[in-house]
Amino acid sequence: MSPDLISDDHPLTIVVGSGGVGKTTLAAAVGVLSARSGRDTLVMTFDPSLRLKDALGVGEEAREREVPVALEGALGAIGGIGGRGRLDASLLDAQQTFNRLIARYAPDEASRRRILDNRFYRHLSGSLGGILEYMAVERLFEVTANGRYGQIVLDTPPTRQALDFLEAPARIVGFLDSGALKVGLKPWFDAGGRLQATARWGGLGRRAERFLDEVVGLDLLRDMAEFFSAFSPLYAGFRDRAQGVEALLRSPKTRFLLVSGPGEERIPDTLFFARRLQQAGYHLGPIVVNRVHPLFPAAIDSSPSDGKRLLRWLGDRDAKGLRELAALFSPEQPLVALPLLPDEPTDLAALAALGEDLERRLAASDPLCRTAADSP
Amino acid sequence: MALSSRLASLAQRELLMVTGKGGVGKTAVSAVLGLALSRAGRRVLVVEVDPRENLHQMLGVPPSGGAVVPAGPRLWVQNLKPAEVLDEVVREQVRIELIVRRVLASDVYKHFAAAAPGLKELAILGHALRLLRGRERGAPALDLVILDAPATGHGVSLLAAPQLVSEVIRSGPFGRLAGELAAWLADPGRCGIAVVTQAEEMPVEEALELRAALRERLDRSPELLVINGLYPPFPAVADAAMLPPADDALTSLWRRRRALNDRELARLRARWEGPAIELPQLPIDRGPALVAALADRLEARPN
Repeated sequence: MSPDLISDDHPLTIVVGSGGVGKTTLAAAVGVLSARSGRDTLVMTFDPSLRLKDALGVGEEAREREVPVALEGALGAIGGIGGRGRLDASLLDAQQTFNRLIARYAPDEASRRRILDNRFYRHLSGSLGGILEYMAVERLFEVTANGRYGQIVLDTPPTRQALDFLEAPARIVGFLDSGALKVGLKPWFDAGGRLQATARWGGLGRRAERFLDEVVGLDLLRDMAEFFSAFSPLYAGFRDRAQGVEALLRSPKTRFLLVSGPGEERIPDTLFFARRLQQAGYHLGPIVVNRVHPLFPAAIDSSPSDGKRLLRWLGDRDAKGLRELAALFSPEQPLVALPLLPDEPTDLAALAALGEDLERRLAASDPLCRTAADSP
Repeated sequence: MALSSRLASLAQRELLMVTGKGGVGKTAVSAVLGLALSRAGRRVLVVEVDPRENLHQMLGVPPSGGAVVPAGPRLWVQNLKPAEVLDEVVREQVRIELIVRRVLASDVYKHFAAAAPGLKELAILGHALRLLRGRERGAPALDLVILDAPATGHGVSLLAAPQLVSEVIRSGPFGRLAGELAAWLADPGRCGIAVVTQAEEMPVEEALELRAALRERLDRSPELLVINGLYPPFPAVADAAMLPPADDALTSLWRRRRALNDRELARLRARWEGPAIELPQLPIDRGPALVAALADRLEARPN
């Protein structure tokens, strides 16, 4: 595995990790670094902070298309290698992508309206078994297919179980293949709108269906059936695309950057993500432990203030967490710690510096110890 | 034990939903509120909905594995699995085991349970209500359920679910349960909302968005804002003589991280209406000692 943060062997970098660990900021920093190394780069983010949106100079229009980031001007002042590659940014918006896909695959306007107006679909938006997360990956697929970028950095949704997002394509294929569509296409209802018993189940089947009838009322089942039957003309196109996305995510050219928070309590999360990625056959790149409190030399003052006592304690806690985490992985696994900065990086210069720092620490032979001893 | 007035008003409720952005410490705050309110005499259950259990560790008890387990005087914890609660509803309604197995194994039920909007949320809230009304056999008598809710967006969905389900499913046990829950949740005197945040840009932004979403979608305001994980206040200028030189990295990191906290605290003061409680970062490992120390802070604060 290449220890390089940016490499032509890995034109797609996917940044994953728990909520609140700084994925979006790091994705932007890696994007800036990549553009400055001369690659045309796209950063796709989900939910950047206002400051980060400002820093990248992207607004609502980035929900529709890729928007150029004015790297040259902003970084001219800081010197060094300077903005030779192009940097674009886009914001992923599941609902809009979904609507666009419906528009593309629906055979006609009536089919499109039938889906968008369905009561089940409208009540469902946001939770259709991961379909909306999947829609976001769709846009990634579109962008990779047109080959405009030498490097794409994808931020992932702020879900508690961020890997759900990766499993979305497989789940959608399974969903379309096995269950709900058939349920929807089955002649559930007779001409009078009553639920039909299936012969296969016999008497028990009738009891079971009567239960479903009683429990859920028939309205919802009717709406669901209507939704899936409206969806059926789109089936083949969706299925092919979902398989394409799945292949892209699993490709050896796609590398996952796993971001973790500091402290021992984050170790189980990080371990869980790393193992899940590896077991599922994705290609795990560097693990970045972000916002690590620096280690400070032991106190000499006999009655330290609250703040100094806390920061010393946090430095010790985070160093201990790092040592424990490192012991859980083989020495070949790139693992790097980034110190908590005095200020959050919220402009292009700070993002560029963060990217460089990450690259430097990754290239150093013993990034862990460096970090521990490396108080700013 | 005396409770600050802000907590005393929460203590009279039956459900307290704790929500906020991922990583801000919702589980810790749920445990702290649970401990403080149980010390004040309420019988409290803290419910966590997450396949990876964390709550038990906060209160120093073994993993719940789905059961209601005692975690102190008048305090219990539970790690709830929504799918199992839903299956339980089927068991209760159908009663004949052979048919129960048919229903649970059927494609229709599986896809219905997975895809029907709001059903899992309904199961979680329904479970809380049944416990409070003493409808679950073998469960302790309770005054208050604290729900460590999923992250922000999902928290609103959770509260909105019963209303949504009652619109979609109008009859049958699920329909009736949805109606009952919707009425219960709509009463701020019985069901409160606590938003947890940290004084940093993204969590504050999400807290403000959550507040707007609650107002717009549910016509509700959170009863409490908990600002978690603050660095200690930096000494005022008058104490500056006590400080080491400003180029000291430790002092500088403290000053600037606290300045970031102060900036976001000011933003919250300007834009957040309603009670707020601040909780500090403490040099104590995650666990019962930390929860107890933070609960002490809640009680001590003369709000």
